[in-house]
Amino acid sequence: MLKKEQNELVTQTGPGTPMGELFRSYWMPILLSEELPENDCPPVRVKVLSERLIAFRDSEGKLGLIDEFCAHRGVSLWFGRNEECGLRCPYHGWKFDTSGQCVDVPSEPAESGYAKKVKLKAYPLLEKGGVLWTYMGPTESTPPEPEWEFATVPLNQSFTSKRLQDNNWLQAMEGGIDSSHVSFLHRGDLNNDPLFKGAAGNKYNLSDSKPVFEVVEAPGGLFIGARRNAEDGKFYWRITPWVMPCFTMVPPRGDHPIHGHFWVPMDDETCMAWSFDYHPTRPLSDNERQAMKDGKGIHVRYVPGTYRPLANKDNDYLIDREAQKAGRTYSGVEGIGMQDASLQESMGPICDRTKENLVGTDNGIIMARHRLMRAAKALADKGELPPGRTVEDMKVRSAAVILPPDQPYKDAAKEALIAKVGVKQTSV
Amino acid sequence: MLLSESARVTTAQEARFRIQTPNSKPRAVKVIALDSEAARLVDEISKQPWNGAAFFKSLSFEQSGGDNVKAWLNDLAGHTSDLVGEIANADCVVVIAGAGEDAASVSVIAELCTQYHKTLVALVVPQGSYEQDTVDRSLKALRPYAKMLVIAHERDYIEAMLTALRA
Ligand code: FES
Ligand SMILES: [Fe+2]
Repeated sequence: MLKKEQNELVTQTGPGTPMGELFRSYWMPILLSEELPENDCPPVRVKVLSERLIAFRDSEGKLGLIDEFCAHRGVSLWFGRNEECGLRCPYHGWKFDTSGQCVDVPSEPAESGYAKKVKLKAYPLLEKGGVLWTYMGPTESTPPEPEWEFATVPLNQSFTSKRLQDNNWLQAMEGGIDSSHVSFLHRGDLNNDPLFKGAAGNKYNLSDSKPVFEVVEAPGGLFIGARRNAEDGKFYWRITPWVMPCFTMVPPRGDHPIHGHFWVPMDDETCMAWSFDYHPTRPLSDNERQAMKDGKGIHVRYVPGTYRPLANKDNDYLIDREAQKAGRTYSGVEGIGMQDASLQESMGPICDRTKENLVGTDNGIIMARHRLMRAAKALADKGELPPGRTVEDMKVRSAAVILPPDQPYKDAAKEALIAKVGVKQTSV
Repeated sequence: MLLSESARVTTAQEARFRIQTPNSKPRAVKVIALDSEAARLVDEISKQPWNGAAFFKSLSFEQSGGDNVKAWLNDLAGHTSDLVGEIANADCVVVIAGAGEDAASVSVIAELCTQYHKTLVALVVPQGSYEQDTVDRSLKALRPYAKMLVIAHERDYIEAMLTALRA
């Protein structure tokens, strides 16, 4: 459990909050490149860390992320005309460039210099790996650009999607480091989902539902190892990395692409769950890519024209009690992504952690919260920049390995947990 | 459009109607230091208010006729209690190694945990200028037995974890 004040500390990420400042120390994914497909395309609304912004790609391809509302009388620039290197408000024609600078106030003589005095808040926006990333903290402490493996492999080796989730970021992220739920919630999918099935490791997940855990601190976060029995007294280890504040990866299965998530707060009651899949050494096959588009694996199908899952709370997640009874799905909800999202949303917009009863095996979650609170306080009180910002922190991978009983994974699988160009994932 | 039940019940407003009656009873958490470094930490931590957690700074053995060895837990006030009794009445057993010395006595505790079906959580909290070798030795001693093994580099993690477990 957390005390009420602690729960507030870790769940509130608006401007000026300690956790909000912590988040503003990292590059965060906010849009898919496909959302701003070409120069002068329509602008897109973005809400991140409780700030309403507008993103656009100008006539020269420059990316802008600025305050959503026109500095004149507050109209949303979502209605703006994206033309001639700027976004023009359709109300009275004020125009802003990608840095938020007002460049034209038609009612005033250009020579008056009035426009120069007006500037909207803007954040950097950079494109990498089919994703647009922003950094919302002080310029002088800008961290290195995103170097996550999924964003640095050739585009034909990766697939990234995002889904809107109607709950606080933390309860979503905690699902990403909670290895023990897989043997329950997702059990029906291990043998059926095209992006999961067939891996030799799956049988250990299904035959041993009481894993033993080992949590090891890493400079930028944690490794959570879950150990299940394999043959001949050996252990099947699944190792999940968490990098502060909200990056998690799922241990791989066979030669399937590896996947993971970014859990980005939009406001305190909504988050964007990013799901990426990639293969370090080969292009994704057409079948794999199609399966991902069809919402298999950790991805979801959408309400057409949106990033909202098709199965959502408005239709009770299309729950199928028959399938639940027959064991085809454990919760009655179809698809790994929505199984997680539906349960996390059911906790309410902000999970009340004062009422939970954690057990010893929840130590991964306990440790992650502890490190988040500690880092947020150190930043607020002492200006100490938080962990997880270096290139090394980002060069991380999940792994699945079989090890003899006397070999600790932190040593035996050390290399397997580092992302290396041209080196295949370690998987079972 | 008529709201589905799931949409209606997951609003912040609906969260107000959650039942506030406590949903669990206090549980007996036994915290046992495995070496002198850990004993020092446990001593400090035990001074805070807890929900009935019991803290022990060491384990000692006594020959009790024939081959029988009896194990005693020593608490911080200088009292001893029977290890078997403490484990039998535990809901969760937490052992702490400061990684200063070896954590061999854990096997005795672990066997009792197995016998009485108790979850054993092991925390390794390296103190001061420790040697990686000693940490590895502690880990090796703990690994076969712990359901959850945590290597924490900050000593305040012990409090954080015990609070999280409502100890
Ligand atoms: S069993 Fe874990 S939340 Fe209910
Ligand atoms: Fe899940």
